[in-house]
Amino acid sequence: MTKEALQSCIAERFANKLTLLESGRYDLMFEVSAGDLIEVAGRLRDDDELRFNFLCNLGAVDTGETLEIVYSLASITKGHRLDFKVIISYDEAQVESVIPVWPGANWYEREMAELYGIDVLGHGNLVPLLLPENWDEGYPMRKSWDSPDFKRLPEV
Amino acid sequence: MAELRTEEFQVNMGPHHPSTHGVCRLLLTMDGEQVVDIEPYVGYLHRSIEKICENRSYAQCIPILDRFEYVTSMACNFVFSLAAEKLASIEIPRRAEYLRVIMLELNRIASHLIFFGTTAMDVGALTPFLYGLRERELIMDLFEMTCGQRLTYNYIRIGGVARDLPPEFIPKCREAVKIIGEKLADYEGILNENPIFLARMKGIGQVEADHAIAWGVSGPVLRASGVGYDIRRDDPFSVYDKFDFDIPTCQAGDNFDRYLVRLNEIRQSLRIVSQALDGLPEGDIKAKVSGNFKPPAGEVYSRIESSRGEMGIHLVSDGSKKPLRVKTRGGSYNQLQFLPEVIRGKGYLIADIVAIFATFDIILPEVDR
Repeated sequence: MTKEALQSCIAERFANKLTLLESGRYDLMFEVSAGDLIEVAGRLRDDDELRFNFLCNLGAVDTGETLEIVYSLASITKGHRLDFKVIISYDEAQVESVIPVWPGANWYEREMAELYGIDVLGHGNLVPLLLPENWDEGYPMRKSWDSPDFKRLPEV
Repeated sequence: MAELRTEEFQVNMGPHHPSTHGVCRLLLTMDGEQVVDIEPYVGYLHRSIEKICENRSYAQCIPILDRFEYVTSMACNFVFSLAAEKLASIEIPRRAEYLRVIMLELNRIASHLIFFGTTAMDVGALTPFLYGLRERELIMDLFEMTCGQRLTYNYIRIGGVARDLPPEFIPKCREAVKIIGEKLADYEGILNENPIFLARMKGIGQVEADHAIAWGVSGPVLRASGVGYDIRRDDPFSVYDKFDFDIPTCQAGDNFDRYLVRLNEIRQSLRIVSQALDGLPEGDIKAKVSGNFKPPAGEVYSRIESSRGEMGIHLVSDGSKKPLRVKTRGGSYNQLQFLPEVIRGKGYLIADIVAIFATFDIILPEVDR
């Protein structure tokens, strides 16, 4: 499906659940509210026209004001691509796990939990993946994290 | 006679192990000689590449991302440059596109030759390792004469490539393509019908296509299970739509099929390199990109077909000189988290685990970053 056809297909199926954002520079980027996440994810995977069965990437972004969790999807059978994000605040840093929809999200969510401090509800095994087991010095990937060893380079 | 009590015990296949191709700890739960479950522990090579890139300019990120997956380092440069170019809508000169494709395919061949050598070595055949690395030296020489480096190239830059080809590159490249094509027949002659190799590889490590797709597995592992998905053809980037090449697939999805798929991919990459050399246009090798590169605010997820599957970078820009977020995605990450699913409940021996790990071709820097 072309990008325009995909955009209209999404608009008719997910009218107010997926809002198109301007920030996507190449593929379509939508925003989903945290409460609708599992339902939208399941329908994106199972819909006959869309068939987004491949989770390419799941990562968190710290914009300085909010945390955003970006999901990048692809369809192996249909060949189109889509991104969407969930925007959450620092105080309520939690999101539901999409493992029931795409089991491949397992380690991505573990990494997001340990590096950004986002609680992934329903994951079941949020053990640190990349950081050492006895790490207790905060959430390194957040913009607000600091440490005596972390030297910022002078402006280029 | 009294009932013998059995219990499961755990054996550590520790981070220092000749067969884990890097620092990966596998905790094996054993029932006698059979492996019941494995649990990978990673993070020994975590260098916080993503955090470092948030503190560097876009051009400075490229040598850092070289080390994201150092065996196919051209791919890391390529995917980041594609992402930055999409953000800033930069047009690449035609010659630069062809050079990028040549370099990526040569790097894919080199990576698959390492796979060939180390897989044969892991199942006990020590000689093919030297053959694979001997042919890889031809490619290393080509890279060294172009960009000065053998492993982490820093060659594909935002806007094009760093330097033009030296005059001796094209004849040497054609010769390398010819030699490697001839030697492939020798490699297949050594291993493909060897009864020991077949006993270690056939029927072991079956991967079902739907299971693999659900776990985000891509690349040769997925193509060996019958799914002919290759980003070079299904989501083409750069000038791949100009070349004529096949996508090798196999049906059974076991170790032997993964090995065959990669050997056939070397053949297809040789075809692409020959076609690219034949059609190489003249012109600039780099678009004009300012030294003060500041792409407009926005985000993009760009993906390419690396030798281990889909390699992607989600690049977020806030309009300043440094990226806001560089999220890297490597094929080995999904394959390593999929590994316990493949071996659970099959009663494999430790030697089978070694063979399956080798044919998944997992590279740890891609997992740990």
